[in-house]
Amino acid sequence: MKSIGGLLTLVLLCLAPHALTAQEGVRAQLEARGLPAELVGDVVALAADAAAQGVPTEPIANKAIEGWAKRVPPQRITAAVRQFYTRMVQAQIAVRASGVADPPGELLASAAEAMGRGFTQEHVGAVVEAAPEPAAAGHGLSVATALQAQGLGPDRAVEIVTGAMHRGQPVAEILDMPSLARAMQARGLSPGQVGEQLMLGGGGMQGAHGRPPGSQPREGQRGERGPRRP
Amino acid sequence: MSEGNRLSQNAHRYLDGEPHGELPEAERVQTDRLLEAVRAYGESLPALDETLDDAVLAAVRHRRPARRRTGWRWLMEPREVRMRPIWAPLAAAAAVVLLWVGTRGPLGPEAPALTPTVAADTVFVRFELMAPNARDVWLAGSFNDWRAEQLPLAAGAGGVWSTTLALPLGEHQYQFVVDGERWIPDPTAHAQVDDGFGGTNSVIVVGPKGVVRS
Repeated sequence: MKSIGGLLTLVLLCLAPHALTAQEGVRAQLEARGLPAELVGDVVALAADAAAQGVPTEPIANKAIEGWAKRVPPQRITAAVRQFYTRMVQAQIAVRASGVADPPGELLASAAEAMGRGFTQEHVGAVVEAAPEPAAAGHGLSVATALQAQGLGPDRAVEIVTGAMHRGQPVAEILDMPSLARAMQARGLSPGQVGEQLMLGGGGMQGAHGRPPGSQPREGQRGERGPRRP
Repeated sequence: MSEGNRLSQNAHRYLDGEPHGELPEAERVQTDRLLEAVRAYGESLPALDETLDDAVLAAVRHRRPARRRTGWRWLMEPREVRMRPIWAPLAAAAAVVLLWVGTRGPLGPEAPALTPTVAADTVFVRFELMAPNARDVWLAGSFNDWRAEQLPLAAGAGGVWSTTLALPLGEHQYQFVVDGERWIPDPTAHAQVDDGFGGTNSVIVVGPKGVVRS
């Protein structure tokens, strides 16, 4: 019957955009940002490899977009994206070894970043195993990476994050740790002392801005938190 | 009415002008009286304008049917549907694909967010850069797909450029773009990471209490 056939055709036409494969989604994303066709082809090919291995493709596309936005030559973008993809694969191996068979994209991105900054597969595994859920592990790795950048060292950073997770601290509180560490350092504490305070769950002893409650901000102190969104 | 309710079936048929059997005398008198009353009532009504019928029909012809009601009737009224058997499995397949796509999303379950968040909660974060000689300063990062000219900083006293942004909880990478061409990191960020392109991305981890930088 004509009306039924037309209805089915309409349904299939409506489904067509959603039925894009991951690679087609990447292609559309890159083309929308104006990347040249050759670069798009290279990145889409990498995305296809990634999808075949279960590695998320959107971080790969975003890395290419980042390079294009920074006006990096296409050849260097392709090389950087390939390197990024390799790190994602290594991160996937590390995370899967910790028992997460199908890790979410943000966890892999965080793990790749951490491993790129000297964290080992064991470090990654410790955070993944301590986390109540895979998404929380991604945040934990981001925090550990930020703490390491503030001089705490990968072992200590992972110890602090996993300790907080084992104590049952909410992920949101763990996300405050880099700011708390920075505030403590601004008050003159050494990285070792900061680590001790964080291990004791010591962030809560601070004022909300990293200052003792009631005290005035130091001259030139910058980057404080803004008001919470209503 | 009460009178009519007591009439026999034959009397009702008689009143309706239908074939009927023999009526008893009393009932015939009663029904004749009713018919006379009806006839008298009809004669007492004022005569209708001869053009009324035409006017009503013209109005009905120009009145468009309500579309929703028509569509609903089309769906609800029983009707004979004829279709080729091949459409049945195709329709079922389309329904399965629709369900699958609906749960999977356009890029599939593996599509991640580059800026992970733990909740829909957002925090205002202030960004500052000391750049006394800059003509303009912009902020670009993972939170705006690295669009270089989307988030301008405002020039303040002493050459300090600043802006405040609502960001979701989680990690964010960014750089400042000075005069549309120089990408420079934020020295006050929580961490600096290699961006893979020979530059350095700044990293902040936004928690519920906000961001404290040096």
